[in-house]
This record gives sequence, C-alpha cells and structure tokens, in this order.
Amino acid sequence: MSNGGIPLALRISGLTKSFPGFQLGPFDLDLEPGRVLGFVGPNGAGKTTTFNCVAGLLRPDAGDIELLGRPSTPGDARWRDDLGHVGEVGGFYADWTTGRNLDLLASFHAAWSRRRAIDLAERFGLPLDRKVKDLSKGNQAKLALVAVLGHDPRLLLLDEPTAGLDPVVRSEVLEVLWEVLADGEHAIFYSTHIISDISRLADELVFIHDGRLLGRHATTEMAESWRRITFRLAVGETRIAGVAEHRRVRDEHQVVSFAQAETLRHLGELGADRIEHSPMTIEEIAVMILKGGSHAQTA
Amino acid sequence: MLLHLSELAPEPLHQQLSRQLRARILARELLDGELLPSIRALARDHRVSVITVQRAYEDLEREGLLVSRPGKGFFVAPQPEGQRRRVALARLRDALGPPVAAARAEGLQPSDILEVFTHVLDAEGGTQ
Repeated sequence: MSNGGIPLALRISGLTKSFPGFQLGPFDLDLEPGRVLGFVGPNGAGKTTTFNCVAGLLRPDAGDIELLGRPSTPGDARWRDDLGHVGEVGGFYADWTTGRNLDLLASFHAAWSRRRAIDLAERFGLPLDRKVKDLSKGNQAKLALVAVLGHDPRLLLLDEPTAGLDPVVRSEVLEVLWEVLADGEHAIFYSTHIISDISRLADELVFIHDGRLLGRHATTEMAESWRRITFRLAVGETRIAGVAEHRRVRDEHQVVSFAQAETLRHLGELGADRIEHSPMTIEEIAVMILKGGSHAQTA
Repeated sequence: MLLHLSELAPEPLHQQLSRQLRARILARELLDGELLPSIRALARDHRVSVITVQRAYEDLEREGLLVSRPGKGFFVAPQPEGQRRRVALARLRDALGPPVAAARAEGLQPSDILEVFTHVLDAEGGTQ
C-alpha cells in the first residue's frame, strides 16, 4: 500500500520469531507517516519481541522489516537515525550525570540536537546534573524519552513509555508526542496497558494475543460500532446479530454489540422493547476484543 | 477555532467534531469557500487523533458541506440559496422523530406535543 509515493514509516512482512514455548507471527503490519498506532495486548503477547525485532535488537527467524522504504540494516547510521526506540533496556551510564549521558548520544547520531534535548529535559523537569543512578523511576523514563527524541527520529517505537509515571508526567509526555506528530512526517508505534492514555492520540489500535494479531481497528470505528444495549424480549433462545456478549434475566437482556446498527436493526425486527443503548470507552472495547469472540477474528 | 470535545460525552469524538463544525457552517460562522484548519493542526490543537478529524471532515464532505481540494485542504462548500435552512430543518425533523414517537407511546396526543413545543420555544425566547 503506497501513499502517493511517500514511503511507509514502517512495513513489516511475514515477521516470525520463536522462543521455546512461544511463537510470534507470522504477521504483516504497516504504518503511514503522520499516524499513531497503538499496540495492545496482555503481558507476554509479543509486543516487546516485535519492537525488539524492528529495532534490530533481536534477529527475526523470518520476515522483512522496512523503515521509510529502506530494508532493515540496524548497523546503518541512517537507519538508526530514523528510529527512536524506548524499551526496557536502560543503556545509560549510572555513574554519569543525565546531561553527560545525553551529550554522549550526540556522537551516535548525526541529527542530534543538543538544544532540543535540553529543551525537552527542562519541559519534563528532568535534572541534567544528577547521576542516572540517583534518578527516580519517573525521571529515568523521562530520560529514555529525551534520549530518543533528541535526534528527531521519523519512527518512534514506544514500548510502555509511561509505565510508572504519574498522571501529570504522562500527560506531559503525550503533549510532546502531539507536537512531534504535527508536521505529518513522524509516526508512532506505541504499546501501553493504559489505553486511556492513547485513546485520543492513536489513529488505530492493533491487538495482539499469544503472538498472533487479533485485528486492527480505527479508534473512530470502534467508538462508533460498539454499544452496550439493554432491552426486553420475551421470545425464547435468540441469537442477536452483531453481539459479542449476552446476559439475560427472564425477558431482560443486556448485550455488548460490536456492530450496533446491525444489532439495533435485528432487535427492531424481533420486536424488542424498551431498548436503551450507550457508547463504550475505547478501554472497555479493547478489553472485549482481547477477551475474544468471533468479532476478533474478522478484521 | 475552539471546539468542545469530551470523551465523557455520549457521542464519539469525530461526531462531536462534525456536529460543531456543521453548526458553524449552517449558522454562517464559516462562510462559503472558507478554508478550514488542516487536519493535523486541528488534531494537535484539540488533542485528538488525525483519523478523528479526517473522519469528521469526510463525513461533512459527504453531506455536501465541505469540499476537499487535493494538496490545499478542506473548504466550506458553496451552499445554494436556502440550502443551510433546508439542512437545518431536515436535521431538526430527524432529531425530533424519536422523542415524538416516545411521547406518543406514553399516551400524549399531538395537541399535547404541540403545546410542549410552544413552551420549549418560549423558554428559548424563540416566539417573539
């Protein structure tokens, strides 16, 4: 899928990586510039393995990875400059100050901007004169972000970048990401357990469970299609169209629909009574998708 | 342009956005031919995803209220004489359908419903 000649920010095809007792993929995934893709799944589902394969920290068993139209060659300086990966690996000198660690990064990246790094550190309230080993968990996470934003990479791989951060700092991080996105040239692939953090930022969410992708959905479509619906219906056992979950007490029904238009039409045909429906948060919908059901296999 | 977008509202964000833009177009706060903010600028300013703004713009384009010019952006589509009023009336009719049906189901007569409408209009200062 090309985008008027502009290369995809990320293109994964046929990615496979196995460990004893676990297999990731094979799957395909792509991401356009200017977009944010949320990566959602339980611990151990394969998110970090995927990120590490893209970042060149793990060698895939099979599959191709392209960044901005160029094949993955992690040693290549240009490829490294295009990528910013915030993962679990620290990689900082614990006895050095924050500032000295950041200055060291300048020598690895042609595009490094000291001004930009210092500005970001100030915005985040990250002390530059403190030794890394003395930083709080929150400040270490901020340092990891500043360290990848300093060279202004086109693709950000953010593996739970806000884990352990308080709500104010999480929102500061998101503010910075919105600014990074504003020129339309940057793309973000973002995994988190705190879906409410990215429900406004992410264009789409891709779900992963046990190494397999469960589907990819635009947040707008999710918000529009899913509804919690209650109604009265006296007739016996009935399968309602578009329903992911169904609870029933006598003639009172409560369903979760992943295709509200279809469900409401069917309820109309069945002559259901006292229909009430309300939208669901992206977080509630994500939980339903991860819990599984026929709808999860279709996308 | 400052719009009100809340995740706690029952409408999805892209519908809140399209509703408020539509209201500004129908009320002539946005005039024929006027350029709207770029998708990315509006997304950043209101802290919503690009796809949210894109969807709202595309929905309004389908309704004939916006027109997109590749490489330039989205503009208010010139509306024929009386078109804004027709669109607003059609939307009012659509919106009133369900509550009128509910009122009828609860036993109210058309005259009751008209009386309530008059009260509501008075409260809004609409009948002077």
